[in-house]
Amino acid sequence: MNDETRHRTEPDGGHTTDGGHASAGERTTDGEHETDGGRATDGGHATAGDELDPSRIDGHADAAEEAFPPLGSIKRWFVTTNHKDIGILYTLTALFFLVFGGVLALLMRVQLWTPGGNFLSPLSYNQAVTAHGLLMVFWFLSPFAFGFANYVVPLQIGAKDLAFPRLNALSYWLYLFSGVLFGVSFFQGQSLAGGWTMYAPLNLPTYMPNVGATTAILALVLFVASVTVSSVNFLTTMHRMRAEGLTYWRLPLFTWTILLTVWMMLFAFAALLAALLILTSDRLLGTTYFAAEGSGSLLWAHLFWFFGHPEVYIVFFPALGVMAETFQTFTGRRLVGRKWFILAMILVAVQSFAVWMHHMFLTGINLQVKTLFMATTIGISLPFDLMVFALIYTMIKGRIRFTTPFLFSFGALVLFIIGGITGVFLGAIVLDYEFRGTYWVVAHFHYVMVGGVTALIGGLYYWFPKMTGRMYDEWLGKVHFGLFFVGFNLLYFPMFLAWETPRRVIEYDPAFVTWHQLATVGAFVLGASFLVMFWNLSRSLFVGEEAGDNPWEFATTAEWAVPSPPPLENFPGTPSYGSGSLRFLTTERALTPGEGSGGAPGVADGGTTAAVGGIDHDLDSRGLGGHDPDRSHDPNHGHESHASVWPFVVGLASFVVFLGLSGFRDGGLPPGMEGGIYAGIAVVGTAFLAFALVGMARQRFRGPAGPFGESWPFDGVENTKLGVWIFLASDVVLFGAFIGAYVFTRVAHGWVDWHVVPHDPTPGLVNTYLLLTSSFSVVLALVAAEKGSRYGLLAGLTATLVLGVGFLANKAIEWNELFHEGLTLSSSVETSTFYLTTGLHGAHVLVGLLIVLYMMGRAARGAYLDDERPVEYFGLYWHFVDIVWLFLFPLFYII
Amino acid sequence: MHTVGSVVAVVPLHGEGILPTGTRADVFREIFWVFLLLGTLVGVVVIVYMFYNAYKYRDGGARAGAVDGRERGAADDRPTLGELPTGGGGGRKLFLSFALSTVIVISLIAWTYGTLLYVEAAPTEQEDDVLEIRVEAYQFGWAFTYPNGHTADGTLRVPQGETVELVVTSRDVFHNFGIPELRVKADAIPGQTTTARFTPSETGTYQANCYELCGAGHSYMTAEVVVMEPDDYERWYENTASNSETPSNATTANSTTANASASVGGDR
Ligand SMILES: [Cu+2]
Ligand SMILES: [Cu+2]
Repeated sequence: MNDETRHRTEPDGGHTTDGGHASAGERTTDGEHETDGGRATDGGHATAGDELDPSRIDGHADAAEEAFPPLGSIKRWFVTTNHKDIGILYTLTALFFLVFGGVLALLMRVQLWTPGGNFLSPLSYNQAVTAHGLLMVFWFLSPFAFGFANYVVPLQIGAKDLAFPRLNALSYWLYLFSGVLFGVSFFQGQSLAGGWTMYAPLNLPTYMPNVGATTAILALVLFVASVTVSSVNFLTTMHRMRAEGLTYWRLPLFTWTILLTVWMMLFAFAALLAALLILTSDRLLGTTYFAAEGSGSLLWAHLFWFFGHPEVYIVFFPALGVMAETFQTFTGRRLVGRKWFILAMILVAVQSFAVWMHHMFLTGINLQVKTLFMATTIGISLPFDLMVFALIYTMIKGRIRFTTPFLFSFGALVLFIIGGITGVFLGAIVLDYEFRGTYWVVAHFHYVMVGGVTALIGGLYYWFPKMTGRMYDEWLGKVHFGLFFVGFNLLYFPMFLAWETPRRVIEYDPAFVTWHQLATVGAFVLGASFLVMFWNLSRSLFVGEEAGDNPWEFATTAEWAVPSPPPLENFPGTPSYGSGSLRFLTTERALTPGEGSGGAPGVADGGTTAAVGGIDHDLDSRGLGGHDPDRSHDPNHGHESHASVWPFVVGLASFVVFLGLSGFRDGGLPPGMEGGIYAGIAVVGTAFLAFALVGMARQRFRGPAGPFGESWPFDGVENTKLGVWIFLASDVVLFGAFIGAYVFTRVAHGWVDWHVVPHDPTPGLVNTYLLLTSSFSVVLALVAAEKGSRYGLLAGLTATLVLGVGFLANKAIEWNELFHEGLTLSSSVETSTFYLTTGLHGAHVLVGLLIVLYMMGRAARGAYLDDERPVEYFGLYWHFVDIVWLFLFPLFYII
Repeated sequence: MHTVGSVVAVVPLHGEGILPTGTRADVFREIFWVFLLLGTLVGVVVIVYMFYNAYKYRDGGARAGAVDGRERGAADDRPTLGELPTGGGGGRKLFLSFALSTVIVISLIAWTYGTLLYVEAAPTEQEDDVLEIRVEAYQFGWAFTYPNGHTADGTLRVPQGETVELVVTSRDVFHNFGIPELRVKADAIPGQTTTARFTPSETGTYQANCYELCGAGHSYMTAEVVVMEPDDYERWYENTASNSETPSNATTANSTTANASASVGGDR
């Protein structure tokens, strides 16, 4: 808000004096823009520490932006893009899915009360097993952690919001609707029933013909979309928008864990997306990847576990972050060996992509590979030893207060130690052979994963006062912990003792009945403990004591330096660590003589520009300057937006599209009415989605404006540009996984025996030229835009469109001929890989062309001439798509 | 290192020293017990130490005095709101513990790796002596094919004391064939084979289970494994060449198990 922007002069002015920073030069540049004084002109109602209230923002709303409703209003929760609101939405939704997954677990435990129970049918049990795993891992654990991440990370790094607030809201709505879609799958015959690992070929329609199974897979695809959008957003924010003085080493540990988690997510979920897209295509279009004899089954296992092992850390790292924060706060000590702790986490995050085959020791891989993966697996366990010891030694000489958050964190550490030690058993291959597929594995990973949940529950109590402004009831919190901890161990420890029970069976050896009954009792105790929590927290919302800014002695991070809950834009001034500790730089200071020389108010060229036009303003956070230093200086536009209904609409529309798609099977539709209904839903949904996307693109929306304190090493890369780069990085992994799947399949079937599908490479060669030429035309469009030539820009975009349409038309003709020769998607695994991989690329081209079409419409009315960056960013995407083709062409046409 | 050695010494060792040998069941038992002992020891020590520190440094009236004493340094230097984080001290202790845990884990794994080589490298001598049986999984059962082409469904018969190599595959989805008592396990993957060797040392009837979720009948996807006296086995095997036990008459196989001396997992 205005308060902050006008104070900006101070830190930048101050910076030139303490130069020598890695990024000082860059910041000086920003400082120069500062001193043209434009920013100091807007507003004028700011005083130090002035609390920001939403009504003031309402006053600023211009016609194209939505007014921001107050907290109490229902509408607020549909339109909010504020990170704190979205954090609360994530937390509540995740808790809902915890209950959903938890009830399924209780159903399973009831079934296992007797060795041969009849409570559930085998198929119901398999669905419960599957849905429990998927819901807990995907729809509860990570989103729960990301509730905190949303709420806390911007506060900890001194950002007013995430880099792309609307995309953040979009992530949430995609997440919610993906969960709803998953719920719908139970009403379409039968949901997935092959375990959360969804092994092939059991996951194919041959063995799971119901529409519900397809729906569940599509729900996962939608969930991955949410994760990807969210990852791009968080990475951009954390790399670009840190307060002055917050270098990476100085980031709070919770923020560190989220940073690493999000990097892992970006890549791991791209691999999962590849697996899911292939599976979707096998189910909907009839490709034969996973049905292929001799390769399909293992291909799934590789793709899934390449994602699956990093996922363990994706789930666990945020819990580790909560433990680090609460251990420091409640022992009153700084974390021992902080740098080593961080280095250990980085090591784990990198190495997590090199251990996946330890899930496949029994698949007949050779001894050398087994040895390699045993070594990496043991290697990855060692950094955790260091982290555990660091946490334990942090207690020494502390003043430990056993509040509820600390009890949960302490308990989590105990559970994690047990989970870790039992995990070392699995690292020894000879033992792993026997533990494979038994309750040892179940017990081990529940100790680790639910151990992580334990810490996150601690996090909920820790940040509850910040999020609500009220204290929870401490005594009830301790009761919750007691029940939780007893229930947890009663539930999972007996599983070690009954470890010879095979996983996922509905009846078992009567010798183990005592252990299974204990586990069932424990499950209900654990479940009941959450009733205490829900009662405690919801009651405290109304009758809890006022928490004040900081209810915890020895808390250090910035979220505790602002009111509870924090005001809309978080800080009373610009947060800065420039002086060595947190300060909020305010107007008075900015005006102190000798500081910020050019920053006197009123010397303004402000208001001269406002030429931003109605482009997507997510693109418009003020970056480098250089092109147009005055951008966003207009007093009427100098604030940020907080409301947009479009993310919700896009989420809803995606839900409808996917619901419609779920009816397809093997390239066709179910006969009769049912098919018609699904097709109708898909068509309506697609139109609705197109409408929603255009609506979102056309809306004026302003994200947080820079310059930001610390952006190293991306000082020179504006937010949107960085976002595009990060997205493309995940796309690289997506295509990499597709190409990997192709190579794996081809090697399994004999590289030289493979039939290259297009016998004539000419169409592919022509397409290569077309795409390469279109890359030049995009560059020409950008140059024209920079020169301010509307016709040049339009000509460049038109040329790109024509070339791209030529590419697709050429491909259509080529495919049509191949179809006529009887080479369809389902003819063989050769044709499947060819059509699907080049088809995925074609889909990227199509999306690019739709963007070009949209940009042409806007360019015709004069857009992009004073801000050509959207053209530049589109160019990045387009070049990437071209480069992918340069790999695909030889792989699928020549060799 | 010292700890490892002493614990290993407690465990009964087969003749040739520190590496466990014998059947897969023996090997598993020995390694499992060493891990269990050492794991419990480490776990108990670490967790007790955690509780000790948590108690010792608890915040409370009794400790107010102590803070003035030797711990003044720490007490004066509590974290404050808005400070920039610095790495706390205690690095040396941290690294000692880390190094110790590394040594324990790596020596344990190195030790079991020797066993892995032993288990995996067994097949070199007398290739002819190995009895190769093909195991085919299907939803929801197991078919066994003997070298003479005899096929049996639901019952695997093997001679005591002879090395058996199972060549495992699947007709439909991913399964996993395991005989828990004999510590034998192999994935059953469609279009691919995996192998598992074992040498049954005692006669009896054991149960094989499926260890990978494969559909509605997964829980019931069991087979009987009958380890027979070598002579009995030979007699039985002679008679199989002509008549196959096909799925249709598979139930008759159960009547021949009267000599069962051990039974796993109860009767289904
Ligand atoms: Cu793993
Ligand atoms: Cu099975």
